[in-house]
Amino acid sequence: MNIPTAVWAALGAALLIAAGCASFPDAQSTRDLGEKMVTASYPGMPELLTRRAVQDRAQQICSKIGGAKLTQEEAAEVVRLSRESIQYPASAKLAGDWKEGARLAYAGQGGRIVGGKVESVKENGALCSNCHALDPGEVNVGNIGPSLTGYGAQRGSSDAIVKLTYERIYNAWAYSPCSNMPRLGAGGHLTPEQITHVVAYLTDPQSPVNRK
Amino acid sequence: MQMTRGGMAAILLACSIAWGVALAQGKPEDGLAVGRQMLAEDNPGELWVLRGETLFREKRGPKNASLEQCDFGMGPGKLEGAFTRLPRYFADSGKVEDLESRLLKCMVEQQGMDRGAIIQTRFSNLDRASDMEALATYVASRSNGMRMNVRLDHPLERETYKAGEYLFHRRTGPTDFGCVSCHGDEGKRIRLQDLPNMTDRKQMQSVIAGWPAYRGTHSTVRTMQHRLYDCNWQMRLPDLGFTSDVSIALTSYLNYQGNGAAIQVPGVRR
Repeated sequence: MNIPTAVWAALGAALLIAAGCASFPDAQSTRDLGEKMVTASYPGMPELLTRRAVQDRAQQICSKIGGAKLTQEEAAEVVRLSRESIQYPASAKLAGDWKEGARLAYAGQGGRIVGGKVESVKENGALCSNCHALDPGEVNVGNIGPSLTGYGAQRGSSDAIVKLTYERIYNAWAYSPCSNMPRLGAGGHLTPEQITHVVAYLTDPQSPVNRK
Repeated sequence: MQMTRGGMAAILLACSIAWGVALAQGKPEDGLAVGRQMLAEDNPGELWVLRGETLFREKRGPKNASLEQCDFGMGPGKLEGAFTRLPRYFADSGKVEDLESRLLKCMVEQQGMDRGAIIQTRFSNLDRASDMEALATYVASRSNGMRMNVRLDHPLERETYKAGEYLFHRRTGPTDFGCVSCHGDEGKRIRLQDLPNMTDRKQMQSVIAGWPAYRGTHSTVRTMQHRLYDCNWQMRLPDLGFTSDVSIALTSYLNYQGNGAAIQVPGVRR
């Protein structure tokens, strides 16, 4: 009945190794290694550009692995940081020219880097149609985000709706923390003025988005 | 005039219903699928396999050597099945390496070629071909019909894989994108381009089975290194270094997720 100590020791060691392997490497060392890799993976790029690959606090929170949910505290922090980031145009007018917005909404250019240089464009596009349906007559649209067809027709174009729309485009995470949508104003991809035009494209009753 | 407008409206209505039906069925790309099928049946990428084999066997570079002694993990010169196990740990470099990083190492060490010059021409453009693209396609094609079988036996292989998983979900840059933004969900499209859900093993296998791939929009064969570079570009990040740590970690993660895929290289992609 007496099992030799050596056998127990061997069994114990095997168990420890198995448990260690299952959790190896731990989350913190994986994060450290991943970040070290990022630092080393853009050789010869100017610091102004490699800075883009450094995460801000909200991006860190929003990089959950395998669909893990945000805690309430994390969601609240992302919302707070995002609200604080929102800036308004100098004119204080939040709905601009829907025709300008129509052009921007289908434009996907701007901000991409080749050979260490940011692409040379007159202005960045607003990237909307990559992910959202807009004008019902345009079928070349993505579906990562919800359809925005009839956005203004459904919601109206009151000051409150216009402000909400502006803020959601400026920093989508102020309302939907960690959604797939880029923080287009806060991240610097669009100017406040450009965003006002997109707001008009979504809310103006004359916009093709809202035409019956 | 009234009639004409009514007639036009009827036609437009019919068209929009037809489109609606096509979209409702989730197959806006059926027209494109026909073209894709035609391409797959007469794959131009086969030319890259032939050119890659010639480049592989030819004595080239300052050392006037072929690549026939290059070790892809199965021993010097052994190509059959080597690609199914990549990326993997290599004792001679002490690192986890992928197909292209091994080719680069052999071209530099065995043929005496200039590392910077190879990296300069790592991707082809309309004016010049890339030896790297042809070589990678040839070596990978020697595993055709075999199944992807990346292992995580060595601690560094496991660490690299886990780092790849971390990087796949890591959101950054001015547009807050991570790989997962476009490839983490079912049935998604960027405009009309279908996006594979890379958290689904089946879909990942169909992706992994066909890289390197002949890309119709590029009129050339592209490797996984280029595919990652291209996604990285679209994410507004700086040029991803060729065979960089990030690219190899992501490839480890993706290839491992695609284990079991029957390799058929070069694939055909948009």
